[in-house]
Amino acid sequence: MTVESLNKQRVLHLLDTITRGDLEGSLACCTDDVYFLTHAPIDVLTHMGPRHGKAELREFWQKVSSRYSEFRYKVPQILADGDEVAVYLHAHFKKRGNDRVVQFDMAVFYSFRNGQIAQIREIIDSYDLVQQVLEREIGPLIVGEEADGL
Amino acid sequence: MTEHSLWRFSRALHRAINDRHFEDIEALIDEDVDWAVYGPIDMFPFLGACQGKAAVLQVIRQLADNFHVRRFERESIMLGVDSASSMLRYSLTALDSDKPISLRVAQFAQFRADRLINMRVLIDTFDLVEQALGRAIHLPRMTGVG
Repeated sequence: MTVESLNKQRVLHLLDTITRGDLEGSLACCTDDVYFLTHAPIDVLTHMGPRHGKAELREFWQKVSSRYSEFRYKVPQILADGDEVAVYLHAHFKKRGNDRVVQFDMAVFYSFRNGQIAQIREIIDSYDLVQQVLEREIGPLIVGEEADGL
Repeated sequence: MTEHSLWRFSRALHRAINDRHFEDIEALIDEDVDWAVYGPIDMFPFLGACQGKAAVLQVIRQLADNFHVRRFERESIMLGVDSASSMLRYSLTALDSDKPISLRVAQFAQFRADRLINMRVLIDTFDLVEQALGRAIHLPRMTGVG
């Protein structure tokens, strides 16, 4: 098996552990100094700031798990080159508060070191994500700010 | 060794956007291409999903009408036989306002017979909107719901 095939399997295994809520299994896929970054507005989605190390990543995944009861995903595209893997995925999260589903596409880029994930970087259509999380459209708020001269 | 389709497509795309030279890119897009750049289409009409070569060329023309690519840097790139993904950092100029815009973009492309058949692009669109507005969007901090 090539290193690329192996690393693709490792990423899919990580996603499966997250789906099962197996937090320790997820963390076992990562290096101790794993770096996690989502390109999203962290002044709004405060828990989505950069995370460094397993303890911070554990805290992030626990926070997500406390807010969402279910995570499902589909992977329409996965590519690997050496120690890098890129995944395009459709993600579905169900909110614990009201059972509403937040669904969005995301690009995730993983970097491996010695068979473990050392870096995770995500890019999301963050404007849409904020609207789904907030359960309201942002556009009228922007227009309102302009009208108020803010 | 044959050049990967991504490189030809990338060169042609930048030439189309910056120089309004569309002939090269036209030859590299399949008639049945499936294309989506997710984002707020009410603010940026060239975002969204479209199908077919004519529609995609129209989107590229709109990009050329609105932006100039000053610089781009590939932060990550993976090439498959007929596919490619990359994370890019773009420095653009919005032509209507002359404002600089800096974007991080994830791109997943699939090719058939050297022509683009599928493109998915994701952008940190909240950041894009704030840059286009020239100010921060003030929303409540969603510490308890996000």
